[in-house]
Amino acid sequence: MNTQILTWLLAVPAVAALVILAFPRSWETGIRRFSVAAMLVELVLSLRLVFADYSGAGYNFVEHIAWVESFGISYKLGVDGFSLWLVVLTTALSPVALYASWGSVTKSIKEYAFSFLLLELGMLGAFLALDLFLFYVFWELMLVPMYLIIGVWGGKDRVYAAVKFFIYTMVGSLLMLVAVLYVVSSYEQLAGHYTFDLQELSNLVLPALPQYLCFSAFALAFAIKVPMFPFHTWLPDAHVQAPTGGSVILAAVLLKLGIYGFIRFAMPLFPVASQALGPVLAGLGIVGIIYGAYTAWVQRDLKKLIAYSSVSHMGFILLGLFAMNRTGISGAMLQMINHGISTGALFLLVGVIYDRRHTRMLDDFGGLAKVMPRYTLFFLIITMSSIGLPGTNGFIGEFMALAGTFFSRTPIGFGSSWFIMTLLATTGVIFAAVYMLHAVLRMFWGKVTHEENESLPDINSRETLAVLPLVVMVFWIGLYPKFFLDKMNPAVDSFVTDFTVRYYEGRRTSEARLVDFDELKARLEAAGELAMTERSEEEARR
Amino acid sequence: MSALIGVSPLLLLVAAGLSIMVIDAFAEDRTELALVTAASLFVAAAVAGVLMLGDDITTAPELVTRYLAVDRMGLFFDVVICAGAGLSTLIAGAYLREHGFERGEFYVLVIFTAFGAMVLARAVDLLSIFLGLETMSLGAYALVAYRRTSARAVEAAVKYFLLGSFAAAILLFGSALLYGATGHTDLLGIQQSVAAGAADPVLTIFALMMLVVGLAFKVGAVPFHMWVPDAYEGAATPVTTFMSVVVKAAAVAVLIRVLIGAFGDQSTMGLYTGWTPVIIILAVISMVYGNLAAIAQSSVKRMLAYSSIAHAGYILVGIAAASEVGTFAVSAVLYYMAAYTFSNVLAFGSLILMGSKGKEAVSYADLAGAGRRHPMAAFPFVIGVLSLLGLPPTAGFFGKYYVFSAAVQAGGPMVWIAVLGVLASVIGAYYYLKVIVYLFMKEPEEDAPIAVPMQSWYVVVALIVAGYYVMKLGIFPSQYLDWAVAAAAGVIG
Repeated sequence: MNTQILTWLLAVPAVAALVILAFPRSWETGIRRFSVAAMLVELVLSLRLVFADYSGAGYNFVEHIAWVESFGISYKLGVDGFSLWLVVLTTALSPVALYASWGSVTKSIKEYAFSFLLLELGMLGAFLALDLFLFYVFWELMLVPMYLIIGVWGGKDRVYAAVKFFIYTMVGSLLMLVAVLYVVSSYEQLAGHYTFDLQELSNLVLPALPQYLCFSAFALAFAIKVPMFPFHTWLPDAHVQAPTGGSVILAAVLLKLGIYGFIRFAMPLFPVASQALGPVLAGLGIVGIIYGAYTAWVQRDLKKLIAYSSVSHMGFILLGLFAMNRTGISGAMLQMINHGISTGALFLLVGVIYDRRHTRMLDDFGGLAKVMPRYTLFFLIITMSSIGLPGTNGFIGEFMALAGTFFSRTPIGFGSSWFIMTLLATTGVIFAAVYMLHAVLRMFWGKVTHEENESLPDINSRETLAVLPLVVMVFWIGLYPKFFLDKMNPAVDSFVTDFTVRYYEGRRTSEARLVDFDELKARLEAAGELAMTERSEEEARR
Repeated sequence: MSALIGVSPLLLLVAAGLSIMVIDAFAEDRTELALVTAASLFVAAAVAGVLMLGDDITTAPELVTRYLAVDRMGLFFDVVICAGAGLSTLIAGAYLREHGFERGEFYVLVIFTAFGAMVLARAVDLLSIFLGLETMSLGAYALVAYRRTSARAVEAAVKYFLLGSFAAAILLFGSALLYGATGHTDLLGIQQSVAAGAADPVLTIFALMMLVVGLAFKVGAVPFHMWVPDAYEGAATPVTTFMSVVVKAAAVAVLIRVLIGAFGDQSTMGLYTGWTPVIIILAVISMVYGNLAAIAQSSVKRMLAYSSIAHAGYILVGIAAASEVGTFAVSAVLYYMAAYTFSNVLAFGSLILMGSKGKEAVSYADLAGAGRRHPMAAFPFVIGVLSLLGLPPTAGFFGKYYVFSAAVQAGGPMVWIAVLGVLASVIGAYYYLKVIVYLFMKEPEEDAPIAVPMQSWYVVVALIVAGYYVMKLGIFPSQYLDWAVAAAAGVIG
C-alpha cells in the first residue's frame, strides 16, 4: 500500500462518493457520518506523506502508468515539498468544512456529500498530478462540484454566482489547454513522440515569443483562480453566495491551486516569459493587496469583507512567488497554508454567527463579546493570524514574502524595482490591520446594540470541534514553522536553481529545441556557476 | 455470399427493413417492433465492428467497390450510424407509445434512412453519393413529417424538404460540372485527373464549391443551417436525435471522402489554397454563430439544435486541419463523431425521459426543479450536457481535445482557429449549464403544468448504453483511438 498511497488518496473519496449514491435518501445521519468519516480516513492516509524524506529534490511516492499511450498521456502522480502541505491542507480542511456544513445544509444532503467528496478528489488530483493532461482533467473536474455547491445550496443570487464562477474559470482553463497542446506538439516535432509528462516536457526550450503566448495562457488560467486583480470579480460573488462549507473550501484550497499552477507548471515551462512578466504579475499582486484591503474596509457584509481580504492576501503570495528567491518562495508557500487556515477558520466563524442570526451585516452586530465570549476569543485569534501578528502563522508567512521581495535585487527577480515593491507591499500590511480590526471593533466591542443579539447562544461543541484544530495550527506554524519549512525548503532550492538554468538556456535559444536539463545542471554545478545567484542573494541580505 | 462480406452491414439492414415491413403487416403489438428494429441495427453495428477489427475487409466484387468503399472508415461509420440509429429507435419506442402515435412505418423509415446514410458514408462515386444522399434525405423528410397532426412538424418538414432539394440540386450541378471538368464520376479518377493537371482548374473549383455547399447543408454548417433549428424543433424528439447523429455522421463521412480523398492534392489542399480556407471560414462562423444563437433559446430542443451547428463547426476545424496533418486530423474527426453521437443521444434521450403523456419536456421551464424531484432521471442529462460542453472526463472532452490538438499540430493560422474554437465553446458553458441550473437550482412557476418523467425501460437502456460509452470514450479512449486511426489511415492516399 505504501507505494500506491497516492492512488489510495484518490480512490477513497471516489469510492466514498459512489457508496454515498447507494445510500437511501432518508438515512440522513448515516450519510452525514459516513462522508465525514471517509474524509477523516483520507486525512489519516495523507499524514503518511508527511513522514517521508523530502531532503532530496525529486518527487516521492511516484506512480507512473501509461493511460493513453498513443498520445503519451500517463497517469503520473507524485508529491514533493510544494504539494505536500497543500495536500495535507486539503485533506484536513475538507472534513472540517463538510462537518461544519452539516449544521446548515438540510436539503439534498446526499448530493451535497457526493459533490464534496468529488471536489476533494479533484483538488487532490490536481495537486498530485505530474502529467499535464491528468492535471487538466482534475482541474476541470473540480469545477462541476463547486458549481453545484454554490448553485444548489447557496444564497439568494446563487445561480448568478455559480455561473460566473464556472465561466470565468473555464475561459482561463480552455486557453491553457490550447497552450498545453502547443507545448506538446512542439515537443513531438522535436522528439518524435507525444508526452504530457511534466518532467519530459521541461526539457523543451521554447523561443521567446511562444513562451510569452503560452505563459500568458497559463497565467490567465491561474490568475483567475488565484484570483489576481483584475480577474478577482467572481470571488466576492462566489463567496457571498456559497454555503459555509463551500466558502471554506473555496478560500482555503481552491485559490491555492492558482499559485500552485504557477509554481508547478507555468514558471518551470516558460522561464523567460515568467521572468519578464513576473514583476508585472507581482505588481498586479500589489495592486490587489492595496485594492483588496481598501475594498474590504468599506464592506458591510462580513463574507464580502473576507473575500476581498483574500484578494489582498493572495497578492502577498504572488509577490513572494515572483521574488524568485528562497525566502520569498518559501514565504509564499507557507502563506498559502496560512491563508488556508485563517481564512477557512474565518468563514467557519462567519457561518456560526450566520446560522444564529441569518445575517452577516456588520451593522447587525455589536457588543458580541459580552454575549459570546468564547466565540469572540476564537474570532480574535484568527483575526490576529490574518493580520499577521507575531506569534501567529500569518506573521511568519507575510514576513518571509516581504523579506523575499526586499532581497529580490538579483537579475532574476524584481531587479531594480525591489524597493518600490517592498515599500508598497509593506504599506498593504497596515491596511490589513485596519480592515480586520475595524470589523472586530464593530462586531464585538461596545454595547449590545440589537436586542436580538442579547440571547445568542455561544459557540457550541460541534462548532468548536471544527475550529479548534485550525486554532492549534495557527500557533503551531506561528511558533515552530521550522517543521513545515524544512519539508519544503529542498524543493524550493532546487526550484530556484532549475529556474535559473532554464532561464539562461531559454534566453540563449532562438528556436525550439530539446535540452537535457539534468545533465546541463550537473555540468554547471561542477563549474560552480550555479552558486552565483545564491551568492548575490547573500550579498543583498548583508 | 462471402464475396459481399465487406458490405454485409448494409445488406443486413435491407433485409431487416423488408422483414419489418412484413412483420408490421401482421403484428398486433407495435412496441416490439422498436425492439426488433433496434436489435437489427445493433447487430449491424456489431457486424461492422467485428469486420473493422478483422484483418481482411476488402472482399467485395468490383461492381460494388466502384461505387461503395469497402474500407475501415466505411465500417467505422457503419458502427456510428447504426449505434446512433439503434439508440434513437429505442428512445422512439418509448416516446411514440407514450405519446400515442406509434405506427410501424416509423421503424421502416428509420432503417432505410440509416441505410441511405451508410451508403452515403461509403460513397466513392458522384452517382452513389447522390443516391445515398437522396435515400437518406427522403427518409429524413418523411420522419420529420411523421407527426402529421402537428402543424409545426409539417411546416418543419416542408421547409427541410424545400431547402434540402435545393442543396441536393446544387450538389448535383456540382457533380455534373466535375464530370465535365475531369471526365470522371469516381473520386479516384477525379483525384488522378486533378493531380495530373488535366482538369480545368476554374471549373473544378466551382464544382468543388458546389459539392461543399450541398454537403455543408447536410452537416448543418452556417450559413447553410437555416433548416436545422426548425426541423429539429418541429420533428418528434426521437427523430431529432436520429437526424442529429445519423444525418450529420454520413455527411461528415462523405465530406472527408470528397475533400481529402478526391481533392487531397497539393494544388487543391493547403492552408492558403484550395478548399481549406473555405472550410475554415465555415468552421469559424458555425462555431461562433451556433454558440451565440444557442444562448438566446428558451426551448432546450432548439438550444440543442444550435449546439449541433456549433459542433458542426468543431468538426470542420478537424477537417480543415486534415489538409496539413492528414490521418491525425481525420481520426480526430472520426473520434469526435463517435463522442458526439453518444453525447447527443444522452442529452436528447434525457430530455425525452423528462416528459410523459400530456406534458412533454421541451423548454427550460419544463425542467425546473425536475432534478430535485427525480435525481436519477436528471443524472444522465447532466452527464450529457457536460460531455457536449467538453468537460473531462467525458467523451466530449476527449473529442474536443483531439480535434483542437489536430488544429494546433497543423500550425500557422490553425492555432488561432483553435483558440477561437475554445473561446466559442466557453459560450457553450452558459447554455449547457442552464440545463443544470433549471434541473437543480430552480423551482417551477406556480400553477405551471409539471412534466413528469416517463416510465420506460427502452429509454433507460438507451441512456445507460449511451452514458456508458460517454464515460468510456472519455476515460479509457486508447482502444477507440486506435480504431479511429486505423479507419482514418485508409482515406489518405
